[in-house]
Amino acid sequence: MAEFVEADNFEAIITRIEHKSRKIESLLKQYKPVEALKTALEGSPPKTKDERCKSANWIVVHRAIMAIKDVDSLFSALDPEYYDILMKYLYRGLSTGDRPTCDQCLRIHEKLTEKAGLGCILRCLADTVNTV
Amino acid sequence: MAATSIHKFAQCITCHAWSPDLSMIALCPNNSEVHIYKLSEDKWEKVHVLQKHDQIVSGIDWSSRSNKIVTVSHDRNSYVWNQEASGWVPTLVILRLNRAALCVQWSPKENKFAVGSGAKTVCICYYEQENNWWVSKLIRKRHDSSVTSIAWHPNNILLATTSTDGKCRVFSTFIKGVDAKDSAMGNSADTKFGEQIVQLDLCFCWAFGVRWSPSGNTLSYVGHNSMIYFVDEVGPSAAAQSVAIRDLPLRDVSFLSERMVVGVGFDCNPMVFVADESGLWSFLRFLDERKAASSSAKYGSQFSEAFGKFYGQSKYSANNNVEQSRGAHDNCINCILPLAKQRKSSVTRFSTSGLDGKVVIWDLQKQEDLLEYL
Repeated sequence: MAEFVEADNFEAIITRIEHKSRKIESLLKQYKPVEALKTALEGSPPKTKDERCKSANWIVVHRAIMAIKDVDSLFSALDPEYYDILMKYLYRGLSTGDRPTCDQCLRIHEKLTEKAGLGCILRCLADTVNTV
Repeated sequence: MAATSIHKFAQCITCHAWSPDLSMIALCPNNSEVHIYKLSEDKWEKVHVLQKHDQIVSGIDWSSRSNKIVTVSHDRNSYVWNQEASGWVPTLVILRLNRAALCVQWSPKENKFAVGSGAKTVCICYYEQENNWWVSKLIRKRHDSSVTSIAWHPNNILLATTSTDGKCRVFSTFIKGVDAKDSAMGNSADTKFGEQIVQLDLCFCWAFGVRWSPSGNTLSYVGHNSMIYFVDEVGPSAAAQSVAIRDLPLRDVSFLSERMVVGVGFDCNPMVFVADESGLWSFLRFLDERKAASSSAKYGSQFSEAFGKFYGQSKYSANNNVEQSRGAHDNCINCILPLAKQRKSSVTRFSTSGLDGKVVIWDLQKQEDLLEYL
């Protein structure tokens, strides 16, 4: 039953991510990188097991993460409810091994740890079900 | 200071328990023995050593009315110790496990005790008068992983368990001939032995340290993902709350009143959680003062500290020692017990023990901001 629902949802999730991607591009053009990151993190599909959805959303989040220039102003505008999901994507970024991505993720990771504490890292590492 | 007494008993303590009058403490110094210490003239004196287990003792409970000690161990056995003129006399309880026993607790009426184990089972043990023998009844095929903690509901029937499959479950342990059908227990007396009342799927990693509030209305347990969970009205319409912790995960919790919970764990510093008038739980503060001043500075230079540690430089350790020496515990705390001679609706004193081998007694009498929750 669960698989059926998921298969049915696949198209819908991809459509939503595409829509999100267009919205992010327009926000980035308006020099609103934080808004873009929020949009990217919102409605990310951790519950689905479908790797294609996860990858599609990661591409969008990656685009938004790389557009962040000023990390300090990011955290003055980002609400705590985004911390846990952002941490998960930072670890996904670090796992790519891509130099510029890792550099950016580490920069944000340091500030995020300062803000959200070690508990945030543990929630991200311990959760093997809702992966991004 | 909230910590009124600190005493180092061993290198490491796996668990501890207090005698009914709180004058003696039984603890396991991370080996197969249980040491009993007595406080005489402000000095702890070792009065008994209980030697019967073959492996590490993982759980001790001292019944407050019948003055019996039950111990469980990784050797898969349990002993009930009776105090007689010659000392403590053990009775073997065969649990019928094929993995280590991990935790033990007397039921409130002390006619049963429960053992959680690595064999994915819970044993409910009771005494059979005619055979002069403790019988173990198993709750099988309910847990998908090791049972890390157990807690008796005050009604003597319901048992809550947490396990490393991340679930918290509540079972009925009604045993014919041991438990009387009592209308005061409500619906729970109608259930069969081993029947699962509820399964809580809040956590996606290991769960530890489950406890009921003094009235049995609220259940609390912790996850290894730095979360603590509070569940009201356990049953079909359970209302759950999750509170994310900023710091390292907890290992054990204790209710001090209906509205206050103390959690202990890898942060080596007890955390206080309180419920407001509407029943909303939140983190209030650490009990030991050391953390508040140092936390921001500590995280700021986290990377350099980590590198310093890596190359064996003294910066991190020196900094760390100064900070640690102010705290009561300096390693993970894995056991917390309220200190009260009878079951009470609120207590102000509790004890903690941990991997640093210390037992610390805490008193909240002078913590004015906390008293309104007690």
